[in-house]
Amino acid sequence: MTTVDFDYVRHYVRDQAAIVLEPGKEYLVESRLQTLARKENIASIDELVRQLRVSPQNGLHRKVVDAMTTNETSFFRDIHPFETLKKSILPELIARNGKERKLAFWCGAASTGQETYSVLMTIAEHFPDLFTWDFKYIATDLSTEVLARAKAGRFTQLEVNRGLPATLLVKNFARQGAEWEIREDLRKRVDFCEMNLVKNWLPLPPLDLVFLRNVLIYFDLESKKTIFAKIRRLLRPGGYLLLGGAETTFGVDDAFERVVFEKTTCYRVKQV
Amino acid sequence: MINLDTLIEQANELTPLPATTVRLAQMVGSVDCHLEDMAELIAFDQGLTVKLLRAANSTASASAVPVGTAQEAVFRLGAARVLALTVASGARPFLQTRIPAYGLDEGALWRHSVAAAVAAETAPNFCTVDMPPETFTAALLHDVGKLVMGRFLSPEILDYIRRAQEVDHLGQLAAESLLLNVHHGELGGLVAQHWGLPPRIVQGIIHHHTPDQGLDVICDFTCLANQIAKRIEAGLDGKKFDLTIAPEVMERVGLTSNSLDNFCPIAASRFQQVSRHYNAV
Repeated sequence: MTTVDFDYVRHYVRDQAAIVLEPGKEYLVESRLQTLARKENIASIDELVRQLRVSPQNGLHRKVVDAMTTNETSFFRDIHPFETLKKSILPELIARNGKERKLAFWCGAASTGQETYSVLMTIAEHFPDLFTWDFKYIATDLSTEVLARAKAGRFTQLEVNRGLPATLLVKNFARQGAEWEIREDLRKRVDFCEMNLVKNWLPLPPLDLVFLRNVLIYFDLESKKTIFAKIRRLLRPGGYLLLGGAETTFGVDDAFERVVFEKTTCYRVKQV
Repeated sequence: MINLDTLIEQANELTPLPATTVRLAQMVGSVDCHLEDMAELIAFDQGLTVKLLRAANSTASASAVPVGTAQEAVFRLGAARVLALTVASGARPFLQTRIPAYGLDEGALWRHSVAAAVAAETAPNFCTVDMPPETFTAALLHDVGKLVMGRFLSPEILDYIRRAQEVDHLGQLAAESLLLNVHHGELGGLVAQHWGLPPRIVQGIIHHHTPDQGLDVICDFTCLANQIAKRIEAGLDGKKFDLTIAPEVMERVGLTSNSLDNFCPIAASRFQQVSRHYNAV
């Protein structure tokens, strides 16, 4: 891949999705675009980039951004946040909102849905009464392709092997050919919507819990600041923000404070 | 580039293990595993009986009194070793394959697999936490995913992996995950599932490099067995490996640094002892 083509792609991806691809990441761009080129019957990466340059914004542009998005996810990823959810966060939110019986959660990088369904399985297992509340779960992602998969709630054997305990697999999934499909009642509790974190946001309700794990690591500082500011305005007093293990609000938005539960760090807006 | 679906198809197309082997694995994985039942099953398989008798009477397991029946062999060897020997017999033809993409000459993967199984066999002498009996088999098969992955790692993909390792300082496993959306441990898990092996063995294989993500101590023991196997091989022929054993793994299996210092030479000596039986050298 030529330097000129690499620069074109990385600037385009940065502009559209705030994903930072530093020089040196040519191997990643090449490997992802090679796969896309073959899928689209385009002879080479050079030809693919040429088509991007000469065509107006079309499906191919979107596919390039999707291809450069890392959709790595798994059920109960890192396990500790889900332990914290069960032991500390959910009991606290339930106690606080008991009178109004209303809660709203948002997952801002839902990918193929494993994190969202892990949260719902945790609720179904330990706090099933919550489903009789006015309970909203909104899951958004930049990619329509991964959202369609999340919405379908179907997972390959490889995907269920990643972090899903056998007991929960048996309880919550039904085998459909070579795939596993999650219970319909859990699937229907989620509003899956397309939303680009660095463009205009959908109108989200006041939130009690925000999951934005392992996505900001790919973003530049300015984008992180803008996103944190928007989340601050949406979080209800005492609401929590959960980030990935390598992410923090520290040094980016000091209006947040860290709250540590055993092995999990959460964030909430400082009360003045 | 590799199509993930094709990789999964390939993992599901490896020749199955013999029915006796799968049934034995399920017996060892069940809560009411009886040696009598295992012996009864084995007695119907003449070829397997001969192999187990040979193992039970070999210098590595020998006592003054030779054994002559499947039942005696099973009682002498124990459930875990019987399963490992049976799986080894079924999987050996695959594991002896040359895998150039991983720098493995013919027989090298088999040798590493046997070293890991020997490390698992030796571990209970040094670890204070009880080792699941299925560890033996998980250790033996931990790298079976390389058989599938190796077929697809073209020079182009190997070049991407090398560059990912150089630029982003990723290990082999992380580079595979980043570029192929799957790593050889996960593919090995699919192979083991395809073979009908019990979930615990599958877990051990999947997480032999990622025990923190596993849900069972078998992942820690399999990880430990893999690392000890590398130390054995490094000691024997000076191969270069990452020989680090994570402190969390040592803690979860109940292994101290002092015990580790004693563990390695004893496992190495045991490997030398049994490798002739396994034809691993």
